[in-house]
Amino acid sequence: MPGVTRLSVRNLRKSFGTHEVLKGISLDAQDGDVISLLGASGSGKSTFLRCINLLETPSDGEVWVDSEQIRMIHSKTGSKPASRRQVDHIRSELGMVFQGFNLWSHMTILQNVIEGPLHVLKRPKADCIADAEELLAKVGIADKRHAYPAHLSGGQQQRAAIARALAMKPKVMLFDEPTSALDPELVGEVLRVMRALAEEGMTMLVVTHEMSFARNVSNRVVFMREGVIDSSGSPDDMFGVGASPAFRQFIGHFGNQQ
Amino acid sequence: MALLELLGMGQKGWGAYLLLATVTTLAVTATALAIGAVLGTAIAAAKLSHSRSLRFVGHVYTTVFRGVPELLIIYLIYFGGSSGITAIGQWLGYDGFLGLPSFAAGALAVGIISGAYQAEVFRGAYHAIPRGEIEAALAIGMNRGLRFRRIIMPQVLRFAIPGLGNVWQLSLKDSALVSVTGLVELMRASQIASGSTRQYFLFYIVGGALYLVLTSLSDRVFNGAERRANRSMSGATIGRA
Amino acid sequence: MDFAFLSSTMVTLIKAVPTTLILFSLSILSGALLALVITAMRVSGNWFLTGFAKAYIFVFRGSPLLIQMFLVFYGLGQFGVIRYSFLWPFLREPMVCAVLSLALCTAGYSAEIFRGGIRAVSTKEIEAARSVGMSGFLLVRRIIAPIAFRHALPAYSTEIVLMMKSTALASLVTVWEVTGVAQRLISQTYRTMEVFLCAALIYLVLNFIILQAMSLLEYSLSRHRRPYAAPLRA
Repeated sequence: MPGVTRLSVRNLRKSFGTHEVLKGISLDAQDGDVISLLGASGSGKSTFLRCINLLETPSDGEVWVDSEQIRMIHSKTGSKPASRRQVDHIRSELGMVFQGFNLWSHMTILQNVIEGPLHVLKRPKADCIADAEELLAKVGIADKRHAYPAHLSGGQQQRAAIARALAMKPKVMLFDEPTSALDPELVGEVLRVMRALAEEGMTMLVVTHEMSFARNVSNRVVFMREGVIDSSGSPDDMFGVGASPAFRQFIGHFGNQQ
Repeated sequence: MALLELLGMGQKGWGAYLLLATVTTLAVTATALAIGAVLGTAIAAAKLSHSRSLRFVGHVYTTVFRGVPELLIIYLIYFGGSSGITAIGQWLGYDGFLGLPSFAAGALAVGIISGAYQAEVFRGAYHAIPRGEIEAALAIGMNRGLRFRRIIMPQVLRFAIPGLGNVWQLSLKDSALVSVTGLVELMRASQIASGSTRQYFLFYIVGGALYLVLTSLSDRVFNGAERRANRSMSGATIGRA
Repeated sequence: MDFAFLSSTMVTLIKAVPTTLILFSLSILSGALLALVITAMRVSGNWFLTGFAKAYIFVFRGSPLLIQMFLVFYGLGQFGVIRYSFLWPFLREPMVCAVLSLALCTAGYSAEIFRGGIRAVSTKEIEAARSVGMSGFLLVRRIIAPIAFRHALPAYSTEIVLMMKSTALASLVTVWEVTGVAQRLISQTYRTMEVFLCAALIYLVLNFIILQAMSLLEYSLSRHRRPYAAPLRA
């Protein structure tokens, strides 16, 4: 359903102590949008992503997922969500892929993938397993379903983590530097899976350092600097002549590797 | 050999008596470990909680029961428990002295001590869970109960196995002190056998040897359990096609 | 709360503290010396000495201290050789038996801790010492022992606190230290809780002092791990 707003963030702020990391960020994602969040380390892009599913509690601002607002209580002593149950529900609608994969090490790959649908969404086990096997085949590790995470390469683990997030049938997928912890030769296999996902029309928000992905796969590039959005636009605009000086300097560091 | 006869299973022999006492030692220790597991879980939860007063209670518990001699704690439970029961008996109209059964008192005392050490083991095991795996559970929408049951508990148990093995060994040796309450476990049985035969050296050596058998056997059990639990962690290529 | 009873109990118990401290310090000192010998045997490379040390550690760590203590106290007197030897006047003393068995036991635990400290010395540091011509006792004294001791200190602190608690067992071979006196008070007065609280307080204070002393020692031996601070010029 193009045109439907899947995710909407209004004026999000986050402080750690007296240090303000996010200084009022607003962002909308329509159905099928693939948004790359770029920025130097410390620019707040990962914190922003983690605020959306409340792994970090925003100090101020609004988050809407599919036109449902996450209710927050703001007071002098700090902010907290009004309802834990609502937070759990919203989180189950947002798929998250971490830099460090974070697969549950005591479960096999298949168990990792069915865990959420089975216990959080309480779907029938046979359906969960059928879905999981399909997803594992899609990310190319069907043969590893009975292996434990420690037995897999980083690239395989990250693909399993993507399958785990997809098994929840999320409305939006959040990627927090999904390839940064990988050896260079393993980056490609994860990016291929993400690209296929984008082509299927999945709404994605991707914090990344992969310029090729930002340029060729995403339809919008957002550049963050010192807790604010410095500039944003289509990849053609951003990587073209209209780029802001700060963004031009930022991509300069990456050279002409593409 | 007269000495061998003393250790035999026959009428003059103390063999069966000592073996039965060994079983009692195992039963006291196992009961204590179970009591300690319940107390230890509660105390570990208190020490990990956000509430300052709960953390304080947990801290006091582990400091006191790891810092005070085991013997003193056994006296506290045995004599204190007996006075408590006697008081209840008087209230119900019974005038005599009522003793706390020595098995219950012993298991409870060793269990309370074991609980203090287990609390530290569980707390350490909780901290050994990679933060990211708990974040992944949050991110998928698991509520507190589900997180505890599906992600935290299984991993705490796995990381706690070596520590629990040490606590078991500790409790096994602490159980010897329960002999002061008159419970005929291995220590008390060695005392009785040596006292009535005047063969002190022989029976304390045999008693000690039986303890060594228990500690080395349980070492094996825990090592085996640790290996099993860590199957998913090793780099071994299990189930690789 | 009956403060008169509490304070008279406290006074009675404190009178027993010197006995506890004598038991503690004598057994820690002799236990540490014995542990050094056992550790040296354990790492000697000689199969017989290593085997002996392994067996020693296995026996004294694997069985309860109480049975070891009773073996020394009741068992040794059974033999004429010991009964009629010059040692008997000492071995007849409950205090000597208690210290002996405490020391034998802690030596087993401490030897394992010391060995752990030695294993933590990196081979690179030893190679560096050899490269400047150190070997044998000099190498042990100047390089291995100081590094190993620093590594072993935290675990050894724990062992020392455990030993403080273990001195309580001496009461069962009629040495009237704090726990023994507490037990006597309990069976005389039946006021278990009050007596327990007083005795527990004494042990907790003693442990606290020990741990403070050990962490002070640890601190003074860890200058190399603290951020560099330029020495003050006079």
